[in-house]
Amino acid sequence: MLKSKRKRKEMFDTVLYTLPAIILVTVMMYIPFVMSGYYSLTKWNGIAKDAEFIGLENFVTIFSKSKDFTNALLFTGKYTLLFIIFSNVLALFLAVCLTKKFKMANVLRGVFFIPYIMSMTIVGFIWKFIFTQGFAKLADMTGWAVWDFSWLGDPNLAFYSVVLVGVWQSLGFYIVLYIAGLQAVPSDVLEAATVDGATSRQRFFKVTLPLLGPSITTCIFMSLTNGLKVFDIILALTKGGPGGSTYSVTLQIYKEAFQNNNYGLGSAESIIYFLVVLIVTQVVLKFFSSREVEL
Amino acid sequence: MKKKLLSVLLSTAMAASAFAGLGVTAAAEENEIYMFISSPEYADAINELIDAYKEVAPDVTINYETTQNDYPTLLKAKLNSGEVPDIFSSTSGKEIDVYREWSADLSDQPLAETMLPSVASSMQSTEEGSGIYGLAIKGNYFGIVYNKGIFEELGLEFPQTVEELTAACEKISEAGYKPFTSGFSEWWVFKHVWQHYLAAAATNADTTVAELVAKFESGEAKVADYPELYTNFFDFIDLVVKYGDDKPLETALENELAAFGSGEAAMVCGQGAWIEADALAIDPELQIGFNGYPVTDDPAQCQVISGSDQALRVYKDSESLQATLDFVNWWYTSEYGMDWFNNVAGVVPPVKTDAESEFEVIKQGSALEAEKGAAPLGVCYSTDSWHQVFGELMQAYVAGTADKDATCAAIEEQWAAIEGAQ
Repeated sequence: MLKSKRKRKEMFDTVLYTLPAIILVTVMMYIPFVMSGYYSLTKWNGIAKDAEFIGLENFVTIFSKSKDFTNALLFTGKYTLLFIIFSNVLALFLAVCLTKKFKMANVLRGVFFIPYIMSMTIVGFIWKFIFTQGFAKLADMTGWAVWDFSWLGDPNLAFYSVVLVGVWQSLGFYIVLYIAGLQAVPSDVLEAATVDGATSRQRFFKVTLPLLGPSITTCIFMSLTNGLKVFDIILALTKGGPGGSTYSVTLQIYKEAFQNNNYGLGSAESIIYFLVVLIVTQVVLKFFSSREVEL
Repeated sequence: MKKKLLSVLLSTAMAASAFAGLGVTAAAEENEIYMFISSPEYADAINELIDAYKEVAPDVTINYETTQNDYPTLLKAKLNSGEVPDIFSSTSGKEIDVYREWSADLSDQPLAETMLPSVASSMQSTEEGSGIYGLAIKGNYFGIVYNKGIFEELGLEFPQTVEELTAACEKISEAGYKPFTSGFSEWWVFKHVWQHYLAAAATNADTTVAELVAKFESGEAKVADYPELYTNFFDFIDLVVKYGDDKPLETALENELAAFGSGEAAMVCGQGAWIEADALAIDPELQIGFNGYPVTDDPAQCQVISGSDQALRVYKDSESLQATLDFVNWWYTSEYGMDWFNNVAGVVPPVKTDAESEFEVIKQGSALEAEKGAAPLGVCYSTDSWHQVFGELMQAYVAGTADKDATCAAIEEQWAAIEGAQ
């Protein structure tokens, strides 16, 4: 009796303390999610008082009428892939350098981390300035053709500019994660490898890298979700331009719902994208966790 | 027990505070006007207007709020949450119908008397063919803003035909100036240029801009059938690319202003009356000229465009509807209100008034309008949903990823898809 009373009390407390969070998450996330599920089945411009129910027509429209959404999916896929590769490889490389003991190590850690604490929008505007004004000055000073390219004005180059800025901004975050992982690699194992005659390259690839498994999984997963969600940096840098060549899916959904006044269509796009992201992240997570090793 | 009570209290307090922000503001009074509009550049002027109205009607409170960023999205959120502003803004023309459900018809109000006919016509519902569903903060002039100093130095008159324009560009370029600054990274620059050619195309095809736009929307019209669009417009874009900035697709409004204000560029593409103050801020000595686009071989068709592209709407089911109507009527009919446009805001007055403006663009614009008439404001017949896509298609053309025929085909297809459906 006494025990069950205590259990009941514990249960009561648990519910009570999580209740505010549950209410907030429900109001802010789940209810809007269900609502956009409903709106995806309607033809609504976001302004009119009534939404007209049209069944699954929006989903048909997305893939049959225009290529915008498919193009945005391709763009986001390409961006995410490059973003994952560059941010992780560079971050790992820099993390290895920064865990070496040299004078400026701590200062440099800070330097690399600073972009991450700046807002994406500000980073976007800073880089927009660098690309337009800064590069022009550099071209004057050096005369190199590379500065004279229209980095934001050429549809092909604009893609790489966006990737560059995205990677530059978030590098610090992944460096920190990798540094933490590197410091957790036990030194006795590394010493044992040295005694066995392993070169420093072998030590890194055969010992350190496998033991970094959990860090790599985390970083890949984080960069994957951040890459798929890319929005603000594109909005600040190119606004989807030039000529609509840099629309990510999130920006495309925003354009469809709020600029083209097709709220229903935008909701349908976001539902599809939700499913895509769900599947991709689950597959990637499964793949990388299955390859982790433990001591 | 005490502890339990405390925890209950704490968590209810937390949950309650989460809801505190929602829906409590609904209790608006009859004498409280909630004004939520875009155009933050006129915030100071509007605050002065509100202060002046406070003396006329001391018991009316006007809560004025403004934002530049993302106004339409914020407005939609407000409309759908039931917190409808008593005065809100949209663009004029086509968007009048989009928000018509929410806004009051002002055609029987006293302000309809003083409103300029060109402004009133852009406030009417295209579906109904009548009504005045909004009022303008300002009229506007669209055309080519140019550096008079450069033109005088080279002994050039402002070109009135396509041929003269090409020759002028050549000459300006030889003299070491940049003939054009493009602004092609802004999607709305293209719609401002396009409307001049659209007006000429409509005139030469014996139709009106509204009808021509409707034909494009229904998919009947082809760009290639109108040489003003197919040849002259695209030639103009090519000309600007040839004689304009090194990186046209990276040039935004601020870059145009910098190039023009510093005296480097002779002509500004796709802008109008609104850039004058900012250009003068860079160089107060700048001699600003203003003229239409040389759209054809007929000098008479080189016209400026006047009209109002912005509309303030009055929420028709508002509790304070009467107070709101009184305020806007006072604004448009009282002496202070009518002078406000020139004296305080420094804009093209959307009302019938004789007052003289201090701005060169407005002065020259109204002189040109009196001399050879003004072309209709074509941009207001389409929504910005379409214009944005149009801008992107033209950017692709400038970037060279699509040729002229592909661009025209895309324009026809997308125009019908976006605007025809609504």
